[in-house]
Amino acid sequence: MTTDLPMPRVGLAAEHAPKVVRVVLNWGRRYSLWVFNFGLACCAIEFISASMARHDFIRLGVIPFAPGPRQADLMVVSGTVTDKMAPAVRRLYDQMPEPKYVISFGACSNSGGPYWDSYCVTKGVDQIIPVDVYVPGCPPRPEALLQGILKLQEKIAAETLSSKGIRTKYAGRAASAAEVTRPSLAPPGRQP
Amino acid sequence: MTSTTDPRELTVGVGAGGLATADMVLNIGPQHPATHGVLRLRLVVDGERIITAEPIIGYMHRGAEKLFEVRDYRQITVLANRHDWLSAFSNELGVVLAVESMLGMEVPERAVWARMLLAELNRVLNHLMFLGSYPLELGAITPIFYAFREREELQTVMEEVSGGRMHYMFNRVGGLLHDLPAGWLGRVESTIEDVRGRLPDLESMLVGNEIVHARTRGVGVLSAETVAAYGVSGPIARASGLDVDLRRDTPYLAYDQVFSSGGPGRVVTRTQGDSLARLEVLLEQVHVSLDIAQHCVGVLGSLPQGPINVKLPKVVRVPEGETYYATENPLGFNGYYLVSRGDKTPWRLKLRSASFNNVSVLSETLPGNLISDMVAILGSMFFVVGDIDK
Amino acid sequence: MSDDDSVRTRAERGPERRGAATDNMSDRTMDAEQPEREPERGERGGLVPGIFKGLATTARAMVTPSHTAEYPDVLPDLPPRSRGTIALLEENCTSCMLCARECPDWCIYIDSHKETLPATTEGGRERQRNVLDRFGIDFSLCMYCGICIEVCPFDALFWSPEFEYAETDIRDMLHEKDRLGEWMATVPPPPALDPGAADAAEVTALSKPVRPGRATPPAGRP
Repeated sequence: MTTDLPMPRVGLAAEHAPKVVRVVLNWGRRYSLWVFNFGLACCAIEFISASMARHDFIRLGVIPFAPGPRQADLMVVSGTVTDKMAPAVRRLYDQMPEPKYVISFGACSNSGGPYWDSYCVTKGVDQIIPVDVYVPGCPPRPEALLQGILKLQEKIAAETLSSKGIRTKYAGRAASAAEVTRPSLAPPGRQP
Repeated sequence: MTSTTDPRELTVGVGAGGLATADMVLNIGPQHPATHGVLRLRLVVDGERIITAEPIIGYMHRGAEKLFEVRDYRQITVLANRHDWLSAFSNELGVVLAVESMLGMEVPERAVWARMLLAELNRVLNHLMFLGSYPLELGAITPIFYAFREREELQTVMEEVSGGRMHYMFNRVGGLLHDLPAGWLGRVESTIEDVRGRLPDLESMLVGNEIVHARTRGVGVLSAETVAAYGVSGPIARASGLDVDLRRDTPYLAYDQVFSSGGPGRVVTRTQGDSLARLEVLLEQVHVSLDIAQHCVGVLGSLPQGPINVKLPKVVRVPEGETYYATENPLGFNGYYLVSRGDKTPWRLKLRSASFNNVSVLSETLPGNLISDMVAILGSMFFVVGDIDK
Repeated sequence: MSDDDSVRTRAERGPERRGAATDNMSDRTMDAEQPEREPERGERGGLVPGIFKGLATTARAMVTPSHTAEYPDVLPDLPPRSRGTIALLEENCTSCMLCARECPDWCIYIDSHKETLPATTEGGRERQRNVLDRFGIDFSLCMYCGICIEVCPFDALFWSPEFEYAETDIRDMLHEKDRLGEWMATVPPPPALDPGAADAAEVTALSKPVRPGRATPPAGRP
């Protein structure tokens, strides 16, 4: 059974806004990224390091005080996503309002990393959610996260939001958290 | 929300339709701001009081033990420092010590002391993380900034010698990968001095703070019997008065010299067993570890010139047999049960991690407490989720 | 945390834990109940209430200069051993595949073919050598352990502290030999070693006859 959730859309006005307005909107988006830290493993500690006084990513407009995914613009997946955790990752991603961005922080969330041949690790968080920036490292140093954020800000500055674009992000991925759950629960031997 | 002392009594005579309080199942986690890491708790609550608590683990299970079986010992070291990411050096140390003990290998003295120095610095790093995050969970955001300032200083030192900020991958079977850089010992010493000099900043937020006391004193008391029954170890066990420390009891490396009389080593214990005692043990252990680290720097400076590792054959094959090697990790006993069939990969490498036992005891501690105290107890259990689930 | 919060939880806490004590923050009756408590637990913190000590620290921190590293503007000063990325010196690589085989997550891709060199002298034998066609490291998988660099018998791989290579597409994380070669420029010289360190194997081999009795390492050691 699948529930037909409406695909997320941006409003008509935003979609057909003239370039000047878009520049202003993008400028606002790139410098107020409320971040939701999906801290799973080692990389979460480096994420905390990056948010502390030494590296302080609030300088770049990344605000780590989002009370939950519903108030966040940016999700940083830091750490190993296991098959047991994957549905929760997807569910929280679905709760975020559009436009939303994802930074995959570290080898584990990029592709499974050290655990790619494990039986219970998702081979990259991009199998369940669309990822905007991949930060390499195991764990990446906090400066690498800052550079990833800068990269994301460049991407936001250049983007034109459209409902079509958002839909293509989901291409090939299950459309709801439930669909992510089901193959993870399938008994071994069956095609996931 | 009723604040009566015994809500069950209230329902007597009123009938089921009256003010009956039903037990409610409350699911906390797996991703919840109040639980650090992805631990899920299934609580049965009556009003605000927890009746039963069951930690549901496995959200971070990465199958490390299975992966160990297809990797040679050097590759295992890489994976081993990732299960408890806050004590990476101690983890890899356990693996190489287990392998070395099965090979019957003598490690150069420089390596022994350098390993001890790094292990103690790692312990400080680990404890600083918890000293920062525990008040954060209680609601005090400030201490973590001071804790991370010191962590950054120590991580700089660790990065200079090993190249990694968190996962050092510096241990090899037979010693360490590289020798220490010139002048590094001096920088370690000055960093230790700096950290020690600035610890009062962090302590001023925690020691004698009325709010911390109000939240933690008498909360989540663990008796020494429970601790022993659940196999809880490390700072949590010592906070309950169980005087165990593998560094002193079954010394590895050169800890027997450090923990002998006159040495800087000392086992920190408390008897109260509450959350405050656990916090205090952690805080005092930072001082002890800094003392041990400083002692190691002194010894390393006075050792004669010599190698820091043993030259190994291209392929390390561990002779057939089995061994159990436990080390005192920052969070407690960390044991590796290594079964070898003479291959270059282990036949089985079982991991006995500290956090697993430390979390199991939650089902004993939490019942009877209020939900608002749950975070205080959970945070004071000092666990790393990867260490629970492996 | 708010004071109200803790007071409330105290009041609500059941009598089974602590008799009928309604200990809020100012009430210290519980000290009497726990006589085993050591005096250094900082009950009163002397004359100044404990909370003010923390506030004093905050006030002090307010007037000390910040220790924030201004990363995008100021690049961090990284030690030579820092494990940022892996650089390849292509000339040194013989495509022996040791690194690819020893890698714990097998993220190195090497393709090579054999090339026959004609004999240099009259009647000499033809020689074969490996030509490296492809050397790729998948940095989305790499766990930065350094085993490849350690096992390389011909010193073709090096650590570089470079860390700025986040990508927007995971396929771009697979860096080929040209990119790995570019990073060679950022590889720092290895640090000098501690005076207590054993001599490098080359030094020991060079000075075999005079080796006994030497106390100080030679100056020109890397």
